This record gives sequence, C-alpha cells and structure tokens, in this order.
Amino acid sequence: MNNRAQRLLSLGRLTAVAANTFMGLTRLKIFYVLLLFGLVLIGSSVLMAQMTFQQEFQVLKDVALGAMSLFTSLLAVIATARLVPQEIEDRTAYTVLAKPVSRFEYLAGKLFGVLFLLALSLIAMSALFFLVLVLREQSVLGETARQMRTAPTEQRAEALRLIRASAFNPNLFSGVALIYAKACLLAALTLFISTFATSTIFTMIVMAFVYFIGHLQPIAREYWLQTNGTGWLTKTFLAVVALLFPDLQSFNLTDDLAAGNAIPLEVLLKTLAMGVFYIAFYLALAWAAFFRKEL
Amino acid sequence: MTDPPVALTNVTKFFPTPFRGPPVVAVRDLNLEVAAGQVYGLLGPNGSGKSTTLKIIMGLVTPTRGHVRIFGRDSDRVASREAVGFLPESPYFYKFLTGEETLRFYGKLCGLRGADLKNRVEEMLTLVGLTNAGKRRLAGYSKGMLQRIGLAQALIAEPALLVLDEPTAGVDPAGTREIRDLILALKSRGVTVLLSSHLLGHVQEICDRVGILANGVLVREGPLPKLLDVENQTQFVVEGASADLLHQIEFLAAQSGARVIERGPPRTSLEQLFLEATAKRADE
Repeated sequence: MNNRAQRLLSLGRLTAVAANTFMGLTRLKIFYVLLLFGLVLIGSSVLMAQMTFQQEFQVLKDVALGAMSLFTSLLAVIATARLVPQEIEDRTAYTVLAKPVSRFEYLAGKLFGVLFLLALSLIAMSALFFLVLVLREQSVLGETARQMRTAPTEQRAEALRLIRASAFNPNLFSGVALIYAKACLLAALTLFISTFATSTIFTMIVMAFVYFIGHLQPIAREYWLQTNGTGWLTKTFLAVVALLFPDLQSFNLTDDLAAGNAIPLEVLLKTLAMGVFYIAFYLALAWAAFFRKEL
Repeated sequence: MTDPPVALTNVTKFFPTPFRGPPVVAVRDLNLEVAAGQVYGLLGPNGSGKSTTLKIIMGLVTPTRGHVRIFGRDSDRVASREAVGFLPESPYFYKFLTGEETLRFYGKLCGLRGADLKNRVEEMLTLVGLTNAGKRRLAGYSKGMLQRIGLAQALIAEPALLVLDEPTAGVDPAGTREIRDLILALKSRGVTVLLSSHLLGHVQEICDRVGILANGVLVREGPLPKLLDVENQTQFVVEGASADLLHQIEFLAAQSGARVIERGPPRTSLEQLFLEATAKRADE
C-alpha cells in the first residue's frame, strides 16, 4: 500500500474509532435491557412447551431464533441511529475529524463498533440458546432411555436418534450467521440514513418502513414481474427498488431450521454474500452523504 | 520559502436557507495568512464568521469559493491535519472515558502507539494540571477541566499549528491565566497559534497579530502594535511635569526644563478598536 493509501485508510485509526464506539455503546442502558429481554425470552422458552419432544424442540428453536433475530435487529437500529447525529450535535465529531482521520474511517469505525457489539450480543444469546437446547435434549434422552428400558435395542436407538435429530444440530449455526448478517445489514442501512436524517426519531421511523418493505420486497418483485411484464422501465424500477431496499425475507431461513431442515450451503453462502454486498453498498452511500456534509 | 501554517485566499462561505431564501453569508472574500511562530487572534462579535472560518481551516466545512492551505496542503486533505491540533468551542468529549483514556484515544487517532503514547499522555496530563484527575471519568469533570483536557487532546501529537476556538469560554480568571501562560509557552517553543476569543484583554496580552471580522468580512487586520496606533496624533510621556505643563505640552516643555521621555502615537485600547470597527460594519 502506498503512502497516500495508508493515509486514506489506517487500520489503527479504524480500530481506535471502533473500540471507542463499542465502549460507548456498552455503557448504554438500552443495550443491557435488550440483551436481558433476549436472554429471558430464550431462557423461558423451555417452559413454553409441554408437548411431544419434537414439538417442544421446534417451539424452543422457533422462539429462541425469533427472539435473537428480533432483539439483534432492534439493537442494530437503536445503537446505530444516534451515533453520528449525537456526535455532531455534541461537537465530539469535530475533535475526531480534526485529527488526521478521514470521514470514511470515522463512519467505518462507527459501523464496526456496532457490528462488534452485535456479535457479542448474539454470542451471548446463542450460548444460552444452545445451553438450554442441549440441557433439554439430555433430559429428554435420559427420560426416554428410562421409559424404554425394556424395549428392543434397535427401537430404543431409533427413538434416541430421533430425539437427537430434532434437538441440537450444527445447522443452527447457519441460522445464527444469517441473523447476524441481517442485523449488520440493518446497522449499515441505519448508519446511511442517520448521515442525512434530521433526528434520531426520523431515522428510526424510516428504518421501521424499510424493515417492513424489506420483508415484502420479494412479494412485490414477483407481482411486478408477473403483472407488468419485463419492459426496461419495469426492470429499472425493480432494480432500483431491489438495490435500495434489501430483501430481508431471504435472511429469514430460520423457520426451516427450526423445523429441522438444513439450509443448502449454496443458499447460505449466497445469502451471506448478499448481506456483505449490502453492508458495503450502504457504507459507501453513507460515506457519499457524509463526505461533504457541513459539520 | 516554506509554506505558511495557514493561508486563506478569497474564501467565501454561503449557507443556503430553506424555501430558496437568500443564502446566509458567513464569510466573504477572506484573505488571511498566519506566519510560523505567530499567535494570531481572530476577533469578532457573535455571528461574525469566526467559528466558520476556523471550521473551514480544519476541513469541517467546505468553502463555497476560495482556497485554504495548511502548511501548503489543501485543508480538505486528511494529511493537512497531521500537524494541527484543534479545540472547538465548548466541546463535549466522551463522558464514559477517563482523562487518560481520552488522551490515549486521540493519541491513537494521530498514530501514536506503545511507550510513545503512554509518555505523551502523562506529559499532557502534567502540562494541563490534570495528573490527579487522569483516572476520573470526564462525566465528573468541571467546565474548566474539560477545557484543559480539550487543550491536552489538541496538543497530543505535538502539533506545529494549534487552532483554538474560544479557548477560555467558561473558564474562571485563574484558568484563563493558565491557558494564556500555556499559549505563550507554546509560542516560545515555536508553535503557531490561531485563536478566536471574546476576551480582548487576553488577546491583547498574547497575540502578535489580529484580524477583526464583522458580518463575515475582515474589517481590520495587522500586527497588534500597529493596529493600536492612532494616526495624526502625538503622545508625550512626561516625567515630573506640573499640571500646567501637561496643558501646554509642546510650547512649555522646552522652557520649563521638563524632560520628554518618549514621543510617539498615542494608543487606543483593543477593546475600543474592536467596538469601533464592528459598530461601523453593522451600520453599513
């Protein structure tokens, strides 16, 4: 990397801004409130089901993955919406940008700070979820083994295999990865909106709309394609909508996972790649909006 | 010839107003140069364009027209800020950080690492008299302490140019004196200082050169002693003179045997100059 490029992007400065952002976010009460809610919901999900073990494990996974997705997404929007506007209002941004820090480094540092917070929150929630799931699995296995003491070995082994198959499986990691990718995407989009929004409330309202549209986007896309043909105008419109509004529905593969189905590796990688693309795209948009912003 | 620390050429800044109203002129055709080693005071009433000018210099605001160069580099380049320290007016810092952590953070942004960073943080805390408060969170700092930690962060990378926007705002007289002494100490080390202030006495004490802004226009600019001279008048400084002698200075002085110690132009105060200059501009 040449000297000029080093000045444009320094890992040291990026890390300093990201670490500082992360530290600031961990002091926010809302972070602990959301994390606590997530953990309580996951922990209590074990009490929600008094059904057959298959149903119980499915409900447990449904509730836990749903709670993780909801709270991580909420945290992504709430944590990011205030970051830049607040620092401009307090003039803290002046002191940072008056140092040899580019606006891109500032924004990227802020985003990475949020992404690190999201990762830690998700790790905490996942750890609890897997712990609950494994404990429940062990309990059901023990109970079944006791009840089937006298049953033939093959029958008992089949029953235990069915329990194991419907409880913890490595595919759940794919689900967690998708939840994280979705939350990161929402954080990047929130950062972009906050660079030109007039208030934090405005950013949050816009994000609520985007969240809604993002989940409906594939339906709208299909409808347009079916009813209006595929003229260049339609294609352009759809391309713009598809680019600006992420297809959040494609990250919702956790229902399949809860039902015990595996996500094909190709689909998983494609969805994660789409997430990375959107994060980079929104970060670039945020930079474009912030590059010449009057502070 | 080396490039001056600050050079503004025909800088104009308009801020647009909503509903296609006439734009607000913050700064108009500003030409200004700060020489190396100088303490330069930018004066002006509220809304005269001082802060906007300093923000333009720091690359926080883009001028509508004109050029700004810092040590010969365009001010919109990140590299132009490598040798500059900046303290904005009434800044908030990260309240969750301690004084030490704050300086470490800003030091890292300037590329300091390891032992260099540690030593520099300790040095700065000592310089601004916050050694004992270094481990306390900024949330518990007084206004004066925040201003001092602000100065410390501005100085963390040993800048050759220090830009201070109202450095004594909200600071008590003793704190103001300490900041004044610190600026003079920095000047003796060869640091160039550009500051804006409302405290005219303070500016008169420390500045080599001043510029007075009114409604975004530089109405007076020059070396302080020259600006304070009143033309077409003569001042006698007389020792041991009677009251009569003072009333008939030139005619009686030679005959009465009084000793004329100094002859030169009488000076007005900076405050008087400031008020006259800005009042004239406001009438236009």
